[in-house]
Amino acid sequence: MRSLFSNKMAIFLLIFPGLVVMLFSIAAPVILSVYYSLTQWAGFGELTLIGFQNYHNILLADKTFWLSLFNALVLMVITIFIQNPIAFVLAAILTKVRKHSRFFRTVYFVPAIISVVVITKLWVNIFNPTYGLLNKVLKGLGLEMLTTAWLSNPHTALFAVIFIMIWYGFGWALLFYYSGLMMVPKDLEEAGIIDGASPLQLYTRVIIPYILPVIQAVLIIDVVSCLKQMEIVYLSTAGAPGDRTQFIANYLYIKAFAYSQYGYGNAIGVLFVIVAVLLTILTRRITWQSPDVE
Amino acid sequence: MTAKHLRIRKTAGRAILYTFLILFALLQLFPLVWLFNYSLSTSGELFGPELLKLPRSFQWINYAKAWTDGRIPMYVMNSMIIVSISVVCSTLFAFFIGYACTRMVWKLRLVVFNIVMLGMIIPIHTTLLPNFVWFKVFGLLNTRVGLTIPYIAFTLSFNTLMFSGMLKGLPRSVEESAWIEGAGLGTLLFEVVAPMVTPAFATVSIMTFLTNWNEFIMANTFLASENLRTIPFSVIRFEGEYASQYAVQFACMALAALPAIVLYFVFNKWIIAGVTAGAVKG
Repeated sequence: MRSLFSNKMAIFLLIFPGLVVMLFSIAAPVILSVYYSLTQWAGFGELTLIGFQNYHNILLADKTFWLSLFNALVLMVITIFIQNPIAFVLAAILTKVRKHSRFFRTVYFVPAIISVVVITKLWVNIFNPTYGLLNKVLKGLGLEMLTTAWLSNPHTALFAVIFIMIWYGFGWALLFYYSGLMMVPKDLEEAGIIDGASPLQLYTRVIIPYILPVIQAVLIIDVVSCLKQMEIVYLSTAGAPGDRTQFIANYLYIKAFAYSQYGYGNAIGVLFVIVAVLLTILTRRITWQSPDVE
Repeated sequence: MTAKHLRIRKTAGRAILYTFLILFALLQLFPLVWLFNYSLSTSGELFGPELLKLPRSFQWINYAKAWTDGRIPMYVMNSMIIVSISVVCSTLFAFFIGYACTRMVWKLRLVVFNIVMLGMIIPIHTTLLPNFVWFKVFGLLNTRVGLTIPYIAFTLSFNTLMFSGMLKGLPRSVEESAWIEGAGLGTLLFEVVAPMVTPAFATVSIMTFLTNWNEFIMANTFLASENLRTIPFSVIRFEGEYASQYAVQFACMALAALPAIVLYFVFNKWIIAGVTAGAVKG
């Protein structure tokens, strides 16, 4: 019996192809990135090793870097305090109105399966000052004074970009919460009702504590994905006006490919990996403490 | 009387809940309806004050133009090649690793499994810069293979997680009796184990297809030649020389989104299963 299930050759053959692909296109570049982060290099031509100079400059003198992190923080706050609660409430409603639940879940998730390129270009058109849908709606409501060039007005650009992100990610948040809420055992809810809990108390005292591990997992996914935002920025404003809508992943990309500061871009990338790993470890800690997650 | 009151309260409550549901359904769908509406109008009609407008005559020609100006046949062909190979490889490799790490007995299995899971943490964007240089060394830059490899790599972690989750729940007895009857590794995997985890195969391959079909930033970084690029670039083309043909651009966006939407409605069950697994397993 043992021989096949612990056959070294068989195990090697099974893990080899996948591992090679991952080491080649994920592990190797991360290591290379650490090396390039210590250099001054345009991506071609002469390369000079400069130690931790790039890190020094990023952390102490690069306003755009900190602005990018700040923008991610704004996105996180809006995601966690506006998008998630709405998604949670809708998911809770869907667990109650059994009849059309599947229909609504399907509808809410439609934007999430469409390419980010199509979605972003769609919203660029919606935000367009002359023919865009948003300004037309405002005019229709008699709110003409609110119409603006949403993506180029420095006061609205960040929120317009964030709106696209929130809208695009909504289906995921909803499905995550829905699947969490479906895990709550029926008799637990019934026991709460028998004990005289009001509908609101049922959620705050029974259901939410029960699915806390799921909520924590979703919050972690939120935080990490807020940091990882790139394509929507790249395809809508590219960080403009000024650097008002800059996000970290887009910033390191244009630093390397538009400004030819390849070493500097890699240093931002390395910091980015460190933050992502730290956040994940932190999250695992939190979820490990809760007994209900498998 | 009270029973009647209760019933009224219940219906009123229901009405409020449904209003809420419909409101957000509209918020999620209306932009797409708007897109589709004006993809059938003339570009000029877009400048009218109406939110939606039945086109004076349906401009199906926009779709024909999008098809040619957006070079859709070429991009679809490129996407099909790159995405289908990445789907097959990613699904198989994940199945293999998942099997080796959950069903076979060896010392480093947890280490290997966790290394594979690390792939989910590393942001794709941080690998773009180093890979641009790294792939150049191997002559992979601006080749289909050079995009297929990271497409496999970045979907492997989630896929392995899906397979291992499913494999853990299987009884050992079937595999053991197959082995006693003299089945080799290949027979065991494909004729005994694979049929027991077909739902995982379905979810994994569909999710991988959608992810890579929609992927943009790696394609944008690693493929410079127009004639190698993938379907999202059909939409990008309308930024330049065709920028003023709004309606054709809209038609092109609708065409680029169509395959994913069709897949979504056909394989809805498997996609939802995949997303849900993502939440529960974090």
